[in-house]
Amino acid sequence: MNDILQINNASVSFGPPSNRTDVLKDLQLSVKENEFVAVIGFSGAGKSTLMNLLSGLQQPSSGEVLYKGESIKEPGPDLGMMFQNYSLLPWLSVLDNVKLAIGAVEPKISKSELDEKAHHYVKMVKLDHAFDKKPHELSGGMRQRASLARTLSLDPEVLLLDEPLSALDALTRSELQDQILNIWEKDKRTVVMITNDVDEAVLMADRIVPLTMGPGATLAEEFEVNMARPRDRHTLNDHPEFMRLKSEITKFMMGLNKESKELAADIIPMPKVEPKSFAPPVLSPTFKQNPVSRKGNNNVA
Amino acid sequence: MKLLKQLKYSLLKVIDLSGLTFLAPIVRLCYGEEPKVQLQKIGQWILVPIAGVCAFLFLWHITSGSIQTKSGTLPNPVETWQGYNAIDTQAEREGLKKTSYELVGEERDQMLADAEDRLAEVKVQVAETNAAVTAAKEAVDAQTKELIAPLDKEYKELKSQYKAASKARKAVLVTDADSLKAGNVAEYNAYYEKVEESVVKTAQEKEELSILKKKIDKIREIKSPEVAKALLEQTFAAEEAQYLSKQIELLSDRNRAVQVETATGMISTYNEEFLSLTGKAAYDKARSIAKAKERLSKMESSSYAQPATIWYQVKRSIFCVFTGFIIGTAIAVPIGILCGLNSTFMAAMTPFIAIFKPVSPIVWLPIALIIVSGLIPDPDNNPLMLFLWDLPLIGEYKINPAFIASAVTVALCSLWATLANTALGVASIDKDHMNVARVLKLGFFARLFKIVIPSALPLIFAGLRISLGVGWMVLIAAELLSSSEGIGKFVWDQFNNGASDSLAKMMVVVFLVGIIGLILDRIMIVFQRMVTFEGSVSV
Repeated sequence: MNDILQINNASVSFGPPSNRTDVLKDLQLSVKENEFVAVIGFSGAGKSTLMNLLSGLQQPSSGEVLYKGESIKEPGPDLGMMFQNYSLLPWLSVLDNVKLAIGAVEPKISKSELDEKAHHYVKMVKLDHAFDKKPHELSGGMRQRASLARTLSLDPEVLLLDEPLSALDALTRSELQDQILNIWEKDKRTVVMITNDVDEAVLMADRIVPLTMGPGATLAEEFEVNMARPRDRHTLNDHPEFMRLKSEITKFMMGLNKESKELAADIIPMPKVEPKSFAPPVLSPTFKQNPVSRKGNNNVA
Repeated sequence: MKLLKQLKYSLLKVIDLSGLTFLAPIVRLCYGEEPKVQLQKIGQWILVPIAGVCAFLFLWHITSGSIQTKSGTLPNPVETWQGYNAIDTQAEREGLKKTSYELVGEERDQMLADAEDRLAEVKVQVAETNAAVTAAKEAVDAQTKELIAPLDKEYKELKSQYKAASKARKAVLVTDADSLKAGNVAEYNAYYEKVEESVVKTAQEKEELSILKKKIDKIREIKSPEVAKALLEQTFAAEEAQYLSKQIELLSDRNRAVQVETATGMISTYNEEFLSLTGKAAYDKARSIAKAKERLSKMESSSYAQPATIWYQVKRSIFCVFTGFIIGTAIAVPIGILCGLNSTFMAAMTPFIAIFKPVSPIVWLPIALIIVSGLIPDPDNNPLMLFLWDLPLIGEYKINPAFIASAVTVALCSLWATLANTALGVASIDKDHMNVARVLKLGFFARLFKIVIPSALPLIFAGLRISLGVGWMVLIAAELLSSSEGIGKFVWDQFNNGASDSLAKMMVVVFLVGIIGLILDRIMIVFQRMVTFEGSVSV
């Protein structure tokens, strides 16, 4: 058995015992070594909570989360987490942020080695022009790269990427996707990435696991991505397998959305009341209100 | 060109860091950047404040004359400025006296000659000013006499007139009393009324007289500005003459080198005499020589006992406030960090913080003074004090129990702002940053020094800035009460002194304390800005 990460029947609930809400319920997941798994889900489904579970920042209310067959009691550098909101220390420069991480993992490292190693990781994410910059002097994409450099510098067994590219514009995004893939291919390790972008998931992952709508979200039937690597993003749109997977997953996700809306049918219907106007009628053009689009999440598609 | 541009940005950065933002428009204007906007900003942030100061000085000048105090009117800006000059001159003279005492050789001769020349000049001035004062006083006296003469005459006339009238009334009433028939109530009542009437009349006359007398006194009391001016000049000249004669003394007989020389000469004559003496006389001479030698050795190492000047007091006050501030910080920051880290500890500390925080410095000071004096009963022989007095830089400030008590009071009153801010800063640390620490598996101390403290620093420094401001305010009061040499003691001395310019000197202190407080605050702002990072919690 070479499952490096495993979730067995784990649930996470919040709130007092009398009024508990299950955020995640009956999770089942196993990740093989050197596998790239993408978890896809809607905003608010509990993706970050799932990530916290995997990194050990949070303990499951029931069930267990295993790393190399042992239950995860506390977070550690082996499970390298890249936080959704960068979490760079704002009073340190990019280089010092990376150095702090390396110093924490290898306390006995010499000063010159530390320096060299930190430079290496910053260069790896192509931030060498911004060594001495403080996080607030960087753009969103650069911050995310700095955060990635810090996570990589831990030399983790498992990379946990929590929506690493969500805040980026399309161009920077594809650039960073390539970088992550490059790093992963060069230096094989296990990756669990959370995303809300189907294209991204299909492009990058070996396996895609959808997370259903919360509350009580759980991991649904997974999709295998059987496409040869390296995958070329330029010809991807002509790849029949890519198109098939994309449409299938999108359909599945849209179905989830619809399902959840039907589930939410017990919303108390509001009486249709309109305030009576006592104002005298005015001769002015009136606007018809545009029907609000109720097409759930625009990220999916 | 590029260098010039770089200079501009570094200048603007320095201005921003130091918080002297009103200078930024000037720099920008020099580089010709939007002159209209910059001129408008200069008008708003430089010219308007200057106009405000001018308006304040003008109002002060015109109102101060009509505010009567125990020692004359409230000093106006000019008199306050003179008060400053007087304080500064005194400080300068004390410095010169010390130099005079220590000076040797040709320099001493030169200075002595200069001082004697100057004294000759000043003596003439003294005589002149004395004459001027006498003349001014005589002129005023003559004027007053002229004013008073008719009133005085009227007063005297009225007085004798009323005295005669009262005597006459009394005589009439006494004779009337002889004819009273015993038992006749109506007659007695009528007589009593007459007596009462006479008493009231006498009282009325007395009242009239006293009103007149007061009028005369008021004229006598009027202080002539000419006399005041003459007196001021007289004081100046007399003070300088006194200073110069003292300086001459210190340059000649009481100069250290001269004294040493005289004593050495005396010892050598004693030695010669000693060699030719026998018996008791020889013993006596030997004893005299031994005593003289002892005196000599003391003399050689002695320094001039200089009284505290204002600048020494200012320096000592600043030193004292920083001593208290450092003590307070050393207490507040660790406790604040513990409070922020641990809510149980916070709960345990809350009652103490809540009760001690509002206590006034006036209460802390006597307690601190008693405790410190109890711990150090005899400062002149206390090893700690002697150690502190021998230290190179701070030795000259002669740390004594009053100083320590003032510093402790400053610490006790100022630490609360730092404590509260540190606790808040530590408690409000970003959860993501703590998660980073958890993923990195940082130990307690690494977490403390690499995550917690850097993240709380902006708030800690905001607290320190408030603390220093509070401490400076508290210190002046503490020094005033504990008689610890410093600005507060200067005010107290002036209050007790009651000279004609004491009030002006106290007004000078108002500005002195204000300006030093402003500088301290600015320094703390620079520190605060240096540790502040983007997105930090600000107060």
